[in-house]
Amino acid sequence: MDKVDFNAPHSMGTTIIGVTYNGGVVLGADSRTSTGVYVANRASDKITQLTDNVYVCRSGSAADSQVVSDYVRYFLHQHTIQLGQPATVKVAANLVRLLAYNNKNNLQTGLIVGGWDKYEGGQIYGVPLGGTIVQQPFAIGGSGSSYLYGFFDQAWKDGMTKDEAEDLVKKAVSLAIARDGASGGVVRTVIINSEGVTRNFYPGDQLPIWHDELEAHNSLLDILGAPEPMNI
Amino acid sequence: MDTVTESQRTLYPYVTGSSVVAIKYKDGILMAADMGGSYGSTLRYKSVERLKPIGKHSLLGASGEISDFQEIMRYLDELILIDNMWDDGNSLGPKEVHNYLTRVMYNRRNKFNPLWNSLVLGGVKKGQKYLGTVSMIGVNYEDNHVATGLGNHLARPILRDEWNENLTFEEGVKLLEKCMRVLLYRDRSAVNKIQISKITEEGATVYPPFSLKTYWEFSAFKNPTVGAEGSW
Repeated sequence: MDKVDFNAPHSMGTTIIGVTYNGGVVLGADSRTSTGVYVANRASDKITQLTDNVYVCRSGSAADSQVVSDYVRYFLHQHTIQLGQPATVKVAANLVRLLAYNNKNNLQTGLIVGGWDKYEGGQIYGVPLGGTIVQQPFAIGGSGSSYLYGFFDQAWKDGMTKDEAEDLVKKAVSLAIARDGASGGVVRTVIINSEGVTRNFYPGDQLPIWHDELEAHNSLLDILGAPEPMNI
Repeated sequence: MDTVTESQRTLYPYVTGSSVVAIKYKDGILMAADMGGSYGSTLRYKSVERLKPIGKHSLLGASGEISDFQEIMRYLDELILIDNMWDDGNSLGPKEVHNYLTRVMYNRRNKFNPLWNSLVLGGVKKGQKYLGTVSMIGVNYEDNHVATGLGNHLARPILRDEWNENLTFEEGVKLLEKCMRVLLYRDRSAVNKIQISKITEEGATVYPPFSLKTYWEFSAFKNPTVGAEGSW
């Protein structure tokens, strides 16, 4: 019988996505927080604000990702006051990296930093376990992302519009939720561009139906119509 | 000295089904289970039938390892076949089938090679309703309502509150749907494709699969972090 490899990295519960488009970024996430098999929160908000123009998608340990976000928000606030203008996305992402890298033995969180600034426009930075930083046109993370590599290889293209990008993110999170037990609930998206920030909320009935799934009903009784008569 | 290889035994399950919930009602037994076959945290198979009629008088619902459930079905098919071959006008009722399953599960447990399932066995014979359960270690009991897995923690409290012995078919279905909806919200391995089956003196019916509507429109779900200091 094969032995369990305790040194392999844990895959994290959650599906998180960040995508750039011509004008800004779209961040997306599911809303499931689980403790073992129990869903502790079915409507969590995993897309957290760092500044007016920079947000972060959190995956992995809920506690670790929350405390990293809080520290980064605190430092960025001070930085913004000193600088006299909004912080850039790169600075925010680097702060996340510093915390993730210098505490790598004690943290278990994968993050996707996304935002818009006037110098570089929309940017996405992935900060996986270990504290690597990598700028990408799009990033996916969390356990649900395993199911999306093939999808993005095929569906991603450069120069999308805002609506195309948001549709892609919605579709992708919904596909991941369909197959990953650790992802579920609603799809949340955050769109960041020069005009500001827009938050959206998509429950299951507003998402497409995938293979082997069925249209939802209030009850079996609605489908059956009249109850079967008893035979004597 | 030649080394002797340890005889094969089940150490952990691979493809698993989640909770089964069942209740007695006015005319017999109602049973519900989703159609998911999970492979670890992946929701791999979404059309697995986990409720099966046994002979003329019983219904079996299984959670746990699907291959072991299929093996149990083979054992039961043989049991029913031999019972029919006697051609003596008698047929095995739910109480007898439950007892057979209990012996099988317990004896396997004693050999440290369990069938990795939790089973629900319900039926009606000569007007007597019967509902029982057996676990992978042979723990067995009967009750007016039973469940396996997380169903014990999430569904049984609802049933303790709302079950009564004069439930009509419609009331019973609605009650089971309420339980299955809670499991859909709070069990990571639940899949939104449900089968309900009933057994009465007339015989067994397994209804076609359907999906349940879920509710996400609480204002706290739409804006969970409004007014929050930080990430939560």
